[in-house]
Amino acid sequence: MSGLEREIAFTLNGKATVTAADPVRRLADVLRRDLGLTGTKIGCDAGDCGACTVLLDGAQVCACMTPVAQVAGREVVTVEGLAAGGKLSALQEAFHLHGAAQCGICTPGMLMAAASLLRRNEAPDEGEIRDALGGVLCRCTGYSKIVEAVMGVVSPGGNLLKDPGVGEAVGARVPKTDGLALLDGGAIFGADRAPEDALWLRAVRSPHASATFTLGPFDNLHAKWPGLVKVLTAADVTGNNGFGIYPDIKDQPVLAVGEVRFRGEAVVALVGDYGAVHGIRDEDVPIAYEPRVPVVGLDAALGAGARQLHQAYPGNILAHGLVKKGDAAAALAASDIVVEGAFETGFVEHAYIEPEAGWARRRGGRIEVASSTQSPYMDRDEVAQIIGIAPDAVRIIPTACGGGFGGKLDIAVQPLVALAAWVLDRPVRCTYTRIESMASTTKRHPSRIKARFGCTQDGLLTAHTFDGDFDTGAYVSWGLTVKDRVPVHSTGPYHVPAVLANARGVFTNAPPSGAFRGFGVPQASIAHEALMDGMAERIGMDPLEFRHKNVIRTGQATATGQVLEASCGLAACLDELRPHWRKARADSAAFNARANGAARRGAGIACCWYGCGNTSMSNPSTMHVGVAPDGAVTLYSGAQDIGQGTNTTMVQCVADALGIEMSGVGLVWGDTGLTADAGKSSASRQAYVSGNAAKRAGEDLRRQILRLANVGEDARIEFGSGRLIVRDGDAVREIGLSTLTPLRAGDVLVGEGTFDPPTSPLDGNGQGAPYATYGFAAQMAEVEVDMELGLVRVRRVVAAHDVGRAINPTQVEGQIQGGIAQGLGFALMEEFIPGRTENLHDYLIPTIGDMPEIEVILVEDPEPTGPWGAKGVGEHALIPTAPAIFGAIYAATGARMTRAPAMPDRVRAAILAAKEGAA
Amino acid sequence: MEQMRYEAPDTVDAAVALLVGAGGETRILAGGTDLLVQLRAEWIEPDLILDVKKIPELTEISKENGGFRIGAAVTGAELGEHLGVKKAWPGVVEAVELIGSVQIQSRATMGGNLCNASPAADSVPALIAAGATAAIAGPNGRREIPVEDVGTGPGRTCLAKGEIVTSIFLPSRPAHSGDAYLRFIPRTEMDIAVVGAGVSLTLDGGGKCSAARVALGAVAERALLVDAAARALIGTPVDDAALDNLAKAASAAARPIDDKRGTKEYRIKVSGVLARRAAQAALERARQS
Ligand SMILES: Cc1cc2nc3c(=O)[nH]c(=O)nc-3n(C[C@H](O)[C@H](O)[C@H](O)COP(=O)(O)OP(=O)(O)OC[C@H]3O[C@@H](n4cnc5c(N)ncnc54)[C@H](O)[C@@H]3O)c2cc1C
Ligand code: FES
Ligand code: FES
Repeated sequence: MSGLEREIAFTLNGKATVTAADPVRRLADVLRRDLGLTGTKIGCDAGDCGACTVLLDGAQVCACMTPVAQVAGREVVTVEGLAAGGKLSALQEAFHLHGAAQCGICTPGMLMAAASLLRRNEAPDEGEIRDALGGVLCRCTGYSKIVEAVMGVVSPGGNLLKDPGVGEAVGARVPKTDGLALLDGGAIFGADRAPEDALWLRAVRSPHASATFTLGPFDNLHAKWPGLVKVLTAADVTGNNGFGIYPDIKDQPVLAVGEVRFRGEAVVALVGDYGAVHGIRDEDVPIAYEPRVPVVGLDAALGAGARQLHQAYPGNILAHGLVKKGDAAAALAASDIVVEGAFETGFVEHAYIEPEAGWARRRGGRIEVASSTQSPYMDRDEVAQIIGIAPDAVRIIPTACGGGFGGKLDIAVQPLVALAAWVLDRPVRCTYTRIESMASTTKRHPSRIKARFGCTQDGLLTAHTFDGDFDTGAYVSWGLTVKDRVPVHSTGPYHVPAVLANARGVFTNAPPSGAFRGFGVPQASIAHEALMDGMAERIGMDPLEFRHKNVIRTGQATATGQVLEASCGLAACLDELRPHWRKARADSAAFNARANGAARRGAGIACCWYGCGNTSMSNPSTMHVGVAPDGAVTLYSGAQDIGQGTNTTMVQCVADALGIEMSGVGLVWGDTGLTADAGKSSASRQAYVSGNAAKRAGEDLRRQILRLANVGEDARIEFGSGRLIVRDGDAVREIGLSTLTPLRAGDVLVGEGTFDPPTSPLDGNGQGAPYATYGFAAQMAEVEVDMELGLVRVRRVVAAHDVGRAINPTQVEGQIQGGIAQGLGFALMEEFIPGRTENLHDYLIPTIGDMPEIEVILVEDPEPTGPWGAKGVGEHALIPTAPAIFGAIYAATGARMTRAPAMPDRVRAAILAAKEGAA
Repeated sequence: MEQMRYEAPDTVDAAVALLVGAGGETRILAGGTDLLVQLRAEWIEPDLILDVKKIPELTEISKENGGFRIGAAVTGAELGEHLGVKKAWPGVVEAVELIGSVQIQSRATMGGNLCNASPAADSVPALIAAGATAAIAGPNGRREIPVEDVGTGPGRTCLAKGEIVTSIFLPSRPAHSGDAYLRFIPRTEMDIAVVGAGVSLTLDGGGKCSAARVALGAVAERALLVDAAARALIGTPVDDAALDNLAKAASAAARPIDDKRGTKEYRIKVSGVLARRAAQAALERARQS
């Protein structure tokens, strides 16, 4: 016991516990670092997210807000204490069966909050459940399945998941293959483990958006802090001090060199023991900054004489994307009706509840990096070139990933811990704080868009023009993808004969804008959907019917001239919405006719489309399925599960392709040392691309087995201990496995499958076939607006999605419900402002109370190139939500929101402006 | 991270003695929901942390002169379960219950909310409207002052070295009285007030307003007692005309700044709307009591 530490005795999960700690330390930290109970998660360390919720004498408290001294003599229960005698509690079981845990980082907090409620109230109603869980944020699920799960404890039944039989896995509502560990605190996330002797690393980041700087000397710092082992600087980078997601653009330094371009950029990294690294204040590190006036926003960056951020990019323009089909100007001039609008959106933060974290360990000439990621192979290649070693000398071992949404495609802790471990030859770990995560990692691109559409008097689209500028922040990150994706999609999911669409990426002194669910398409959809409403209004047509008339159908060509051959289910989605839409419109009209207070209601509708896979690029996935000499079947999947459930989907595909039960398929995931490259978990591609690869791998193995047994196609396969049993009608063949020669990872039979979606490059006019398939969706939102306050509450969303085939309907619904929550946040409350909203109380994401009732309707118009007809849904989920809400606000108030988020003051101003305009 | 001394005395006198005796900066710890965030952000680095949760006087609710004395370290959850206080001062209780989530409620205290002196603190306008007083103990003995005099600016109070707030006193209620607190936030929960409005009023036998107090939060450097808004109600049947005048007076008193949660003009407007709605809710309660 040192210094001010005291012995603190309390009951922990039923056991008497005594620990020595500084009394003011937080319970969460003591549980995790001293007592090894890492089931309690830290998402913010500020009381805002509830991930750290534990029970203190039965009541839910934030362990990050509880000084450990205040638990003395009291009873603490953590998620590890929920399962009695190794058996999950009814609550945990219900979470499992209802698919309530996606990434699982919020799950311990949710479980504890729900457990506290159920202790007090055996049969809570939905309102009581929502109240009790209101302090825990979830970024993945939209809360729907969490509420369902708690309701499921009270009255079991409903949409329960089952164990499918042979050949029945695809399409079944099966629980997560790897789901149990998310429920008992067992899943290991980035911050949960590291080698015992790991040093800690903390980056010191620029407080200025633009500055030059000089460093050192660091002698005084070392003298004052003996626990400080090294101050890592740009000079320590052994390979290339630059990273970026494109193979030929590595523009973002790991550690800045003499100049910083955004607030939050890493300048040096402190490596040493925990106390030193976290005790040193940033101000005490000798970094002498010369701040400059930063280039903030598009106007400043594009203005005459604007300071150029990068030499290689004159005028601060990163790149320009173009799609040109026909003569849009002439077609507009000839149109009966032309509508136009200007739209703006701000930075949006991913706000996954798990801040970036991980560790690295050098092993001779090789290095291992364990961290939370969406793209293990990209991380591998990036770390390799930064250290200056061959890619296969780097092994990436992904931890469980507590949410990504695009934000964990770019590297964060990986190069820092890897470099430090490499240089010091000691394991090194790092956990970002919430503030650091928000300040330094990528965002959704702010946008400024001008768009026009033309149509005929009877409502057929004729032409579209689009000009969009996208603020890509200080570095390239995914900026090129955005400027490509946007013009390809800017028509919306409609057939438009003539198109001229331009998009530019623009550098500013802000955090890099990167990948975030939809790559610019959600921003563009606000424009095209507002204009669809505008045209429908001008010609007096119902907004749903106007869209129905124009949706792109099989046999029609997109803006890039790609003729869609199959799986265009949008008209069917609108057909599904029609009865809901008519009722919602009638209901809100009736409400408004009666209303005498400040509340008005309205309904809005929006459609989206989104190409699955990387744009006009080869993006293959490879999977292996092996059989070990003892008969164990293992899927080796490099497709990173970031909560969306890819692990489960892949096992479902393999089980049906191979013809065995899901429970017979073991899983090894993510580790680049054991799995092949499956590409990134992005671009709504894993179910479609890796699903195909998994299916092919399963089929390949089945073919080999049938050939080996010399039996027909319909034979049944079973694996016994050390042998393979194949039944074909009355014939039974047994094949001993132990005598076969091991081929890969000790397996004696190995099936391999690869799939690369067929695409073609875009020509100079953006013409070509950038994606092999597109997903479609239509969503409808009903809102209530307080006309005096401008406050918008979404009452209900109905979402119809054409997913080709739902391999796991529960997981697909989960994606859609979670996407709607993010779309709602984007529409109404989320705006990242560097330096001002770098935490979860100033940056608002929807809580359980903000979420409306959601009805999901799955439309399955099969995609012939997809596994069992499946295509993607991950990003489609959020694209139509914001425009549907904006349409509903318009219907309720007469005010058209052209800027996201529609914060109450903006809505109120728009209502006043609309009234003035009308007067 | 310099090291901090931690003490948890069990009497007010011991607490005051520790505070007076300590060199350097001292901080009182109640629920810690403000303090821990500030420590973590390194905005403050006290030498002594004094935990007051072990002092019985600070953790009890008792009846006094027909009103209630609420220990400064009583949590929001405990107050919410107190039927007596809830019945007499529903507006105060609803204000306290708006603080944070269920998790925060199990820790946050009224004393902390008041002494943290955030202009947006939710319980403060409700307490001011209620005419509550704060009992303070210090090296020079005890004193009792109106709640509106405690906070002097963002993060600043009138407390001298060695002083702590021991309790908050809510006076007895005449018949036909009601209070209410409303706050405006963009999100449904767990958010900091853009504007908060507390109103307490009493009706005479004829249904006219005989006494009223109106307070606003988050629109100035500290919570404001708005006399002009109260005067707009007194002597009226609290009809539309009176409510319009109240709203005007509230908007006129608000002097907010622009921030990301709302422009200045908008927050001025909201002050009026919210004060009006709070007055309507208080009126409803007064009529029913
Ligand atoms: C997630 C979250 C959400 C929140 N939401 C809200 C909200 O909606 N509305 C709102 O108003 N606040 C909110 N807060 C702020 C905070 O919870 C409240 O201000 C709470 O009432 C503080 O009480 P406490 O007991 O935790 O105070 P502490 O943190 O213990 O103390 C706060 C300050 O007061 C001083 N102090 C405490 N007790 C005394 C005393 N008896 N005498 C003298 N000084 C004292 C402390 O030294 C400290 O400076 C929120 C905080 C968090 C973390
Ligand atoms: S970690 Fe405790 S509330 Fe977020
Ligand atoms: S499952 Fe809730 S945050 Fe991921």
